Amino acid sequence: MDKLIDDEMLVAQFQSGRQNAFDELMKRYKSKIFSYLLRSVRNYEDAEDITIEVFFKAYRALDNWQPKAKFSTWLYKIASNLAIDYHRTKVRHPVYALEDMEIPEAHLVATDLHSDPVQQVEDQERGRIIREAVDQLSPKQKAVFMLSRYEGLQLKEVAETLDMAEGTVKIHLHRAVKRLQTLLRPLWENNEI
Amino acid sequence: MPKCIKSGGQAIDYAAKLLSPEEEEPFEEHLKNCLDCTEAVQSFRTVLQLTDQAQAELRVPELALQDIEMNVYKRLAAAHEQTLLSRVRASIANFGSLFRGPRIAIASAIAIALITVALLMGNLFRSESVPPLPETYSAVARIEQYRQQDIQRNLEEALITHHLRNDAWDTESRLYRMKEQADGTNWMAVADAHLQNLQSGTLDTP
Repeated sequence: MDKLIDDEMLVAQFQSGRQNAFDELMKRYKSKIFSYLLRSVRNYEDAEDITIEVFFKAYRALDNWQPKAKFSTWLYKIASNLAIDYHRTKVRHPVYALEDMEIPEAHLVATDLHSDPVQQVEDQERGRIIREAVDQLSPKQKAVFMLSRYEGLQLKEVAETLDMAEGTVKIHLHRAVKRLQTLLRPLWENNEI
Repeated sequence: MPKCIKSGGQAIDYAAKLLSPEEEEPFEEHLKNCLDCTEAVQSFRTVLQLTDQAQAELRVPELALQDIEMNVYKRLAAAHEQTLLSRVRASIANFGSLFRGPRIAIASAIAIALITVALLMGNLFRSESVPPLPETYSAVARIEQYRQQDIQRNLEEALITHHLRNDAWDTESRLYRMKEQADGTNWMAVADAHLQNLQSGTLDTP
């Protein structure tokens, strides 16, 4: 399929009966949505389940979808809502987080002759500490920070995704960065990360 | 001495490249003469670099991505079955009134007639696997394919239960569940025939 066809056109094709257009939409967004959810829930299996649920919900609602916002924003909105539901459920039924899982052996093995396994382990530890700092943000700060920094959404799109005013999004983003600065600065000043 | 008021939000926006060109130029001019803001921008940049790097290390396994489409369609097929199940349950509730009083005989006669028809269509009893569909097939076709596979799997599980555990009650429950799923397909007649065989003690195992 022509990659130049935009998402909204694919949706229109789906709505007019061309079911395969949905396959193309899934192909375009499955990795992004999975990554977003993985960062949010930090558990591979749960991220996969929620990704499936996102596309399941999208498929069922797509017939009535109106192009008021970008298709991708709508998809992130479904994902964000499901992630919020997940975190609510998780409070009641705690699960093992990504960092608690045993690191697969393949990740520890040097990928080439010049890489240093000790350095790899140190990098993983540094990554873990930083991701834990991001987890300490409030749910709204974290959602705004992740959507704007990692998913490449404009502030306006983040606002649409999270049903917030653009000014509110900016406030959450500023608070998130300041909070991360407070948490991480002592660590980088002491060369711990 | 209080810090520069621009060393907060504006410094973050600059570090995150969120300022418009009209805002950026004056802020860069300001930076040349403001130590507070220069330090703040440097610090916020470090925060963003560290977090970007740490998040980039979280990679989605390629293997997990391969199955997403298939699992979405399976999920849709399962939802389709649930909708059917609720409709069938409602029908069964209405149909249940047939089995009161003298109507039992009529209902039994209908059931026997259905089973006879099913027996005559011997091919129905052959458990054939559903061939995989090419990727170009429509989503609806794939959902139907997974539905058929689920029906077939439930039939197989019912027969295995009968064979391994000889549990008539469980086998019957599974066959009824399969029949409910099979609403509107030839598999309904298959389920009826197996139920009849189970009740008469002649149910063959795979």
